[in-house]
Formats: sequence, structure tokens, C-alpha cells
Amino acid sequence: MKKTVDVSLPVGPMHPCFKEPCRIKCETRGEYVLSAEVELGYVKKGIERIMRGRPWQEVMFLAERVCGICSVIHNFVFIEAVENISGIVPTERAAFLRVIVNELDRMQSHLLANYSYCYTIEHETLAMYLLNLRETVMDQLELITGARVTCAYIIPGGVRSDLSAEDAERLRSALDHIDAELSRFIRIFETGPLIALRSKGVGILTKEAAIEAHAVGPTARASGIDNDQRSTHPTYKALGFSPIIRQEADNYARIMVRFEEVFQSTGLIRSALAALKEGPIRGGGTIKAGSIKYRNEAPRGELLYELTTDDYGRILEIAIQTPSIPNIQVCAHEMLIDAQSAADITSIFISSDPCIACTER
Amino acid sequence: MSMLQYLKNTVRSRSIHVAYVNVGSCNGCDIEILACLSPRYDIEQYGIYVHNNPREADVLLITGAFSSQWEDKLKPLWDKIPHPKVAVAIGNCPISGCVFNRPETLVDPPVSKHIPIAAEIPGCPPRPTEIISTILSLAPIIFKDYEETKK
Repeated sequence: MKKTVDVSLPVGPMHPCFKEPCRIKCETRGEYVLSAEVELGYVKKGIERIMRGRPWQEVMFLAERVCGICSVIHNFVFIEAVENISGIVPTERAAFLRVIVNELDRMQSHLLANYSYCYTIEHETLAMYLLNLRETVMDQLELITGARVTCAYIIPGGVRSDLSAEDAERLRSALDHIDAELSRFIRIFETGPLIALRSKGVGILTKEAAIEAHAVGPTARASGIDNDQRSTHPTYKALGFSPIIRQEADNYARIMVRFEEVFQSTGLIRSALAALKEGPIRGGGTIKAGSIKYRNEAPRGELLYELTTDDYGRILEIAIQTPSIPNIQVCAHEMLIDAQSAADITSIFISSDPCIACTER
Repeated sequence: MSMLQYLKNTVRSRSIHVAYVNVGSCNGCDIEILACLSPRYDIEQYGIYVHNNPREADVLLITGAFSSQWEDKLKPLWDKIPHPKVAVAIGNCPISGCVFNRPETLVDPPVSKHIPIAAEIPGCPPRPTEIISTILSLAPIIFKDYEETKK
């Protein structure tokens, strides 16, 4: 069918709302969006090409730098993949410390995503509140690991540094502060009439379309799909994890899923701190030859590492599937269609929490 | 110093407009620039505004190890910025390529091959305070008495 197109509207690659360069090409009639296409390739570095044939000690740091926002989960999945090949089991204390750091990373990523959304719909007050709360989370990450971003905390057989009792107490009081502040911000978000106008019923992604396009993460869970890889992870199972699902399938639902997951993360950290027993944090071990597909839940959805190692601990083959790949596609082909105004293009795109650095690597 | 120059110096010292461009970074440095906006660091109390629009920028912050897509795009973008202007490289990537500068890579560091870089902030990623202090210490050197020294 031939469409009547007024304007082919490009958004990006440099845009005030985007953290990263990418271009959305929208075919519009007036302001109504008929179809959209996302053009990528501005930050392609070829990380998987560099990784091939290198020892795991180097690949570990490269894996972390696939994405700066969710660096802990890349470290987590890569290390657990080579551990599973070699039959190394982390010590019990280290397994819980991994969950604590991973959930802190998820909290700062979700707060950053919701900051971007609030900034995009021009609610700058709430955006700045969220960005300030994120600094509290970053302080806790720095307290435990020693770095704000790219901390390389997880190593085969354990973790790099221990959590002292007084640090655990500081972490607990910070979690209480985050819970109290965030419930206030969520009330602002839920009751704001203009926020509801810009968010409710905008960027609908039906359950059928999400299943067909293999949407993952909060984008899929906001459309009523029960898909969270953490429910298959042994440590998360021990902590009694169950995913958060909403049925509204619009921008509002995607942001609310992220807000609720921050509460879930503080709960998980609290139960991990309660379950933390004294013991060694490093088990040690040798990387052996083998190949594996290993997955876990990144802040944006399912993250898959497929790799082959040899007896010297080198990575022979590696392929990374990051969650933003299906999410950006489903955003362009389902969510952006029928957007009523050009101002909704950026807000719908940001609501799916795209990470271009992850997607292109 | 003429009166006009004095006025320009006064205005410029509290009005620094910043644009940032990601030429192949991992996002780590970008979110540290974003963290500068937060009320804890509060970049706007120093008169620095992040607009992300090259045409009204004074300072261009560059993150990333220069991927090939930007080869024909970064120079025109730099030319769009009105004088006086300055470029700051943030993180190890624009300086050396960091971990990405290995055989078989697709990036082509350093960025100083393409546009003039006035200051470099090493770190993977640098802290927000380092970014703010670099902009603040660089701006007076570049912008003070710009018209009179140019003659």
C-alpha cells in the first residue's frame, strides 16, 4: 500500500534527549508517525573482534566496557560463563556479594533510565530528584567496589574485596534513605496529571507484538510477559525472587516497572545482607577448555554470552547478545507507529531504555 | 582593555555552554557527564549549561575512541561551533583508545588527529569533579581577552 508522506523527519544523531548517538527516521503525516526506522553504527568498536584469542584476564575488562551503564552485569555473566565451563563454584559469601553489587548496578541504571524519561517529557524537577538519588546508589557502589563505573568486582571463584560490618550498616541506612525518597518520587509520578497525559496510552506495545518481536526486560514485563532470567539463577532463587509484571503496556507501565524493580532490588539486597555469613570471598580455580551459552538478566533484559575457551584460558570464540537489540527493533516497528505527535517520538524511544553502546559493541 | 572586552570577559566567565559528542565510547564517560548535572555536583552553579547543541556551544566534550562513522562528521560538527571554542577529550578513549586500541579493532584513536584538543582528562571514566574542574580551569585561559589577543 502506498502511503502519503508529508515529511521524512530525522531525529538525531546528536539530540539533547539522547545520551548516545543514533538516528530515528520517521515518516510522518503532519505530526502523526506512519513508520519509523532506527539507524545505528555510530559507536561500533568491534569488541568481539578484539576479544577473540585473548586470555580471560584481558577479556574480563573488555566485557565490562561493552556498556558503561550496566558494566557489573557484563562482568557477572562473563565470569559465571567461564566458571560454569571450568566447574568453579563461588564461595557462599561471594555469591551473595555478587548479587548485592549487581542489584546496586540495576538500581542506578533504572534510576538513570527514569531520569532520561522525565527529562524527555520536560519534567526536569523530578528528573533532577532521580539523578540525585542515583548519586546515593553510586556512593554505595563505590563503598563496596572502590569505583563508580567499570569496577571489575567479580572474578572467577569469588569477588575482589570484602564487605565489612560497618560498611554493611552504612549500606542498610542508605537503602532506607532510597526507599523513603523513592516512594515520594513515585507519588509525584503517579499523581502528576501532565505526566499521565504524556505517558498513559502512549507507545502501546501489545503482548502479541512483544512476543513476536522477542522483546525482553522491563519493556516486555510492562506488556504482561513473564520473562526474567533472574528467576533461573541459583542465588536469586535462594533469595526468593519473583518478577514484576504490569499489564498496561504503555510508557507509564514501562517507567513504573523500573520504579518497582528498584524497590525489589533494595529488598533483595536486604535479604542478601541478612543471609551473608562469615567466610572466604575467593575460592580460586583454573579456567579449562569448553564452550557454553550463559544468560542472566541485565537492567534492560536478557543478556547472553556464548563463548569457547581453550586449556590456556584463552577465549577462542565469543558472541554477545545484548537486550537492547530486540528492544530497539520493537520500539521502531511497534511502539513508534501511531505516535500522535513528534514530541512523543523521543519519549517513546527513551521509555524503552535503549543502550546504543550495548547494541553496537 | 576596552570596555567592550571587559563586558565580554565578565559575561563569558559565567556563561559557558557545553555540548558533548560520543564518538564511540562505552557510555561510562557519558553518564559521568550526566552526573555533573545532578544537584550534588550542580554544574549550573558555575554558569556551565549543557545544551548539546553545537551551534551555541563554547566547549565541546568528546568521549569515545573515534569509530569510522565519525570520520566525515566530527570535523563539520567542530566547524559549526562559533569562535571562541575549545574541545576537551574525556576519558582514556579519545587520548589513546584505552582497551579498544588493539589489533583488529574498528576504532582509530586519537581524536586529536581530526580536531584540535585543548585539554585531556584521563581516567576510565574520570570522576564528575575532574570534568567540572577541567572546564572551569580551561575556560578563562581560552575565553579571556579573546578578541584583543586575536589581533
